[in-house]
Amino acid sequence: MSEATLPPALETAPPVQKRRRASVLAYLLHRSPLAVLLVAIFVILSIFGPWLAPHSMTDTNLSAVLQGPSPAYWLGTDTLGRDVLSRLLGSTGVAAQAFLIVVLMGGVIGTALGLVAGGLGGLIDLVVSRVIEILQGFPTILVAIVVVALLNPSLTNAMLAVGLGAVPDFARVARSVAIQLREREFIQAARGLGAGELRILWSEVLPNILGPLIIIASFDGAQAIMWEAALSFLGLGVQPPAPSFGSMLREAQSYLSIQPSLAIVTGVAVSAIVLGLNLLGDALGDFYDLAGR
Amino acid sequence: MAIYMLGRIIGGLLTLLCVSALAFFATALAPGNPAAVLLGNMATPERVAAITKLMGLDQPLPMRYAVWLRETLQGNLGTSNLSFRPVNDLVLAALPATLELAIASLVLAVVIAIPLGLVLAQRRDRWWTRPISGIVTLGISVPGFWVGLLLIVLFSVTLKLLPSGGFVPLGRSLSGNLRSMVLPTLTLAIYLIPSLVRFVRVTAVSVLREDYIDTARAKGVGPTAILLRHVAPNTLITTITYIGLQLGVLISGAIVVEIIFAIPGLGRLGLNAVLNRDYPVIQGVVLLAAAGYVVVNLAIDLTYALIDPRVRAR
Repeated sequence: MSEATLPPALETAPPVQKRRRASVLAYLLHRSPLAVLLVAIFVILSIFGPWLAPHSMTDTNLSAVLQGPSPAYWLGTDTLGRDVLSRLLGSTGVAAQAFLIVVLMGGVIGTALGLVAGGLGGLIDLVVSRVIEILQGFPTILVAIVVVALLNPSLTNAMLAVGLGAVPDFARVARSVAIQLREREFIQAARGLGAGELRILWSEVLPNILGPLIIIASFDGAQAIMWEAALSFLGLGVQPPAPSFGSMLREAQSYLSIQPSLAIVTGVAVSAIVLGLNLLGDALGDFYDLAGR
Repeated sequence: MAIYMLGRIIGGLLTLLCVSALAFFATALAPGNPAAVLLGNMATPERVAAITKLMGLDQPLPMRYAVWLRETLQGNLGTSNLSFRPVNDLVLAALPATLELAIASLVLAVVIAIPLGLVLAQRRDRWWTRPISGIVTLGISVPGFWVGLLLIVLFSVTLKLLPSGGFVPLGRSLSGNLRSMVLPTLTLAIYLIPSLVRFVRVTAVSVLREDYIDTARAKGVGPTAILLRHVAPNTLITTITYIGLQLGVLISGAIVVEIIFAIPGLGRLGLNAVLNRDYPVIQGVVLLAAAGYVVVNLAIDLTYALIDPRVRAR
């Protein structure tokens, strides 16, 4: 997923020491209220979606197919007469799952690899750096094809492939910050007090890279949602009849000339979520940049 | 210099070897016996066993990999389990459409994105830079294949100007080919442009902070000349590397676009192969795409070493 849009300066950004938690939200609200609004809506709908949905997400109603918006179906119905709004709410939950799988997998594996490589150096660093280099930018879709060929098409399998692509992003940042911190006074002090290298990485270095890692999480999470849509669109991800942005767009394509609104509302929904996360990433980047100076 | 180049080439070959092993073992270990898939509802245990033996699937895995690798290196990618046609033929038939799509959209994207990124970097305080930056951020957040659907709604369904899918080979009709490629190329280019603009802008902004830019300004060089003679060349080198790494995005994007517009390219070949468990074709497509990725990036690195002495010193 390195193909994403990470600001190149992130790796060389100075590590941030202390900052007040409350000020992050205040800054974000001031700098990019749209990001906060969109992300808040995304979080709320992905959690409470199943309760908010006015109809079933999968029940078909063949007497009401491809309808436009109406009081009964606010956003109309699809080719099988299923309620589009309800299916969009279900898709939002799927997007949240995609986000979590990719960010957790990329974040945990990538950060651990990067910290160990940058913190310990030597042969480990050499090997890890090579692996990261190979993984980085390697076409995610090829990995997804291989993974799905090996296992089966499903949300989890598709997101494993995408998560693998997110590993280098986290690893690169964790590694470079760990290298910068290695010789800093407070690390030397901890070493002088007899703390082991792994302990130093965990309790001294890790807390100092949380800022950059959160930024990457929001960008790579946004990418994960796009990938979920793309892979499900191709039939490699979420399988019908379960709703997902990708599978909804796939079905919508066959009926573009009859009911284009189906494709339009679905695309707007997924774009709004991704836009919110990208704007949040930008704003967080500015915040940590300012705090670091 | 020679050592650097040799190192890069060996590195590239090693990557390809890893990919080949990955492609082979992942598909070979996948559940579902291709022999049974092949026979469909005519499958009996005896027939499955016979076909399995015929296809060499009863051999030990490392043995099968060695045989497969030897054949692949000789340019023989095997036979499709589905159509019984040689994978070579299938891949060669699919390649032109994919190459045309990828090259055309990459050129279009570069021609638009690089000047735009440079100008956005230099004229940061103009009234029109903010809305354009906004559009770029929006562009990054919009799924590429959705843009394709919107283009179909606009140009095919509403205006009835262009076909909504299908592919006319260049050899058959030039105008037909161009008509069938306009929307796919546009879709893929729109997908590539926003992140490229962003990259060029960020790089150009950092170049603009260099001392030699101040020197040029002090000498009285105008803003346009600074942009063209100093900023552009120094931005381009990094940008070419970035485009090489973006090749993965291009490959992924091309596959999705082929599906939307029903273009019989490598992506559609590979996807159908996955959905039908046609292992030789999956291996061929994955290997070819990976080889393209590795070779282009290797070529970029080597050219880089030739034109920029700082790289060699590293």
